[in-house]
Formats: sequence, structure tokens, C-alpha cells
Amino acid sequence: MKLHEIAEKLELEKLTPAFDKEVTGVYISDMVSDVIANAKAGNLLVTVQVHANALAAANLVDIVGIVVAQGKRPTDDVVKMAEKAEISIFSTALSRWQVATKLYEAGLR
Amino acid sequence: MTETAEPRFQLADIQPGYVIIEREMYSKVARSYFSTEPVPPKEPYREGLRVWSFWEMAQSLRFSVRDNQTGETHRFDELLGLLYYGCCKPDSELYRIGELALQNKIFIYVAIAYEAPDGSRLDIPLEKLGVLNRAFNGRLQTKDKKILILPDYFGLYKELSYGQIMLDFGLTAIEDKS
Repeated sequence: MKLHEIAEKLELEKLTPAFDKEVTGVYISDMVSDVIANAKAGNLLVTVQVHANALAAANLVDIVGIVVAQGKRPTDDVVKMAEKAEISIFSTALSRWQVATKLYEAGLR
Repeated sequence: MTETAEPRFQLADIQPGYVIIEREMYSKVARSYFSTEPVPPKEPYREGLRVWSFWEMAQSLRFSVRDNQTGETHRFDELLGLLYYGCCKPDSELYRIGELALQNKIFIYVAIAYEAPDGSRLDIPLEKLGVLNRAFNGRLQTKDKKILILPDYFGLYKELSYGQIMLDFGLTAIEDKS
């Protein structure tokens, strides 16, 4: 499933463009070290972590997009950094659990 | 030629733990070490003329890289963490190099090592960094994307804050600790 399809289905706010990338799975974490150790390339990261290092970790393991839950928003600097790395960032007021449920309903496993 | 599902180099022996940061009472010099227990010594202690006390703690991990072809395992106990070029000041050398590399879809990280007991930095041999680079690049799927993890030839450890290194200081706010 493409990033833009997910953004539309979950009515996510796009903080960056939805890059033309395929999402092959989902990883939910707020810890940089956990993302480095366990997330997989092609994953969509669901988190409330908005620090630049979360993006640095996502980029290191080739995560394609980040859904920032609970209405959190990264700074403009982090958003610019994500655009350079072609990692899409979306924001939503939904909780991580609600995002996970909706992603499952959308067909992601 | 048959494609293998597993890359040749993979992270292994992943051990969650804590980076304990201490500060020397008089010089204000900081140093850190890895601990599997979230219980640093709270009382100041003397080491020669210096008095160290607990300052800050971050969650992190320690790992090895396994070579699936040879079975050899490379430990990275000396690695404090990685620093992404984008987390440096835009007027820094690393940032400028990082921007240049980005034009070729190369993403620059710097391996920051722990301090040795004498205050110097532990060395991460280039051969080992080569293995680390192969481990992370082996995980990538994006076409033409490359990760390049450099040694700290820039001496960044002297000026950076712990908050710039990829460690877990907190959920949503990471204080700068210089």
C-alpha cells in the first residue's frame, strides 16, 4: 500500500509530501534504540516521539513514513530534515492504538 | 544466482540498557558508560584527584554484528551512539559534508565512542566500522540509498551534547546535555 493511500484512508495531516513509496509493514515505538534494533525497511513508524533523533533512526533503518500520533507535531527543522530524506511525516489526533487499528483495518499487517 | 533472504551482516546480541553519564565535580568534564541496570551510583565517588557524580541517564542498546557467511561476531561495546549529520549545526563541517553527500543519496552518520578511563576516546577500528556500515546498508530497500557511518575524525565528542547522539533521553523532550 502506498503512503498517499494510507494518508487518505486515515485522514492524516501531511506535514511533508506523501512520497511515492510502498509501505510493507508497521512498527510502533517511541524509542530510538528500539527502532534501530527492530524496525524494518519499508515500515511505517507510529510514534509520539518528535525529536530529530527519531527521524535519524527512521532514516538509518529505511522507514518510509512516520505517523505522529496524539496531536504531536515535530518542529519545522525536523520536517525539513524528513523531506530531504524523503520520509513522509503525517500528524493525527488519534492515539497510537487507534492508528494501529485503522492501519490493520486498511489491510496492513 | 539465488537471492538470499538474510543479508550477510546483521545486528546480533542486542542488549537493551542505559548510558550512565557522570560529571566531575570540579572540572565539570562529563563521561559515560553502558550499564544493563538503571541504577547508577548516586553518591559522588573519588578517583585520584577527581570526584565523579551521577548526572544523567539515557536508555540505549549494545549490540554485535554477525557475519552470516563466516559466523564471526564483531562486538561494538565501545560505541556510545551514532550522530546524524542533520542533528549538527548548519555551519558545522559535518553538516556541510552531509548536505554534499545527500546529493548522492548518501546519509552521513558519525560513530561516537565511549570515553576511556583516562579521558581519551576509545577507538573503533575502521575495519569494524566497515562491518557496521555493511550491516546497516544491508537493511536498506530504497533504491540507490546509502548509509555512511564515519569515525569521529571531526573530534565532535569535544563539542557535541549527549542530546545530539541517538539515545533515548525521554519520550518527547530531550534536553541538551553538554
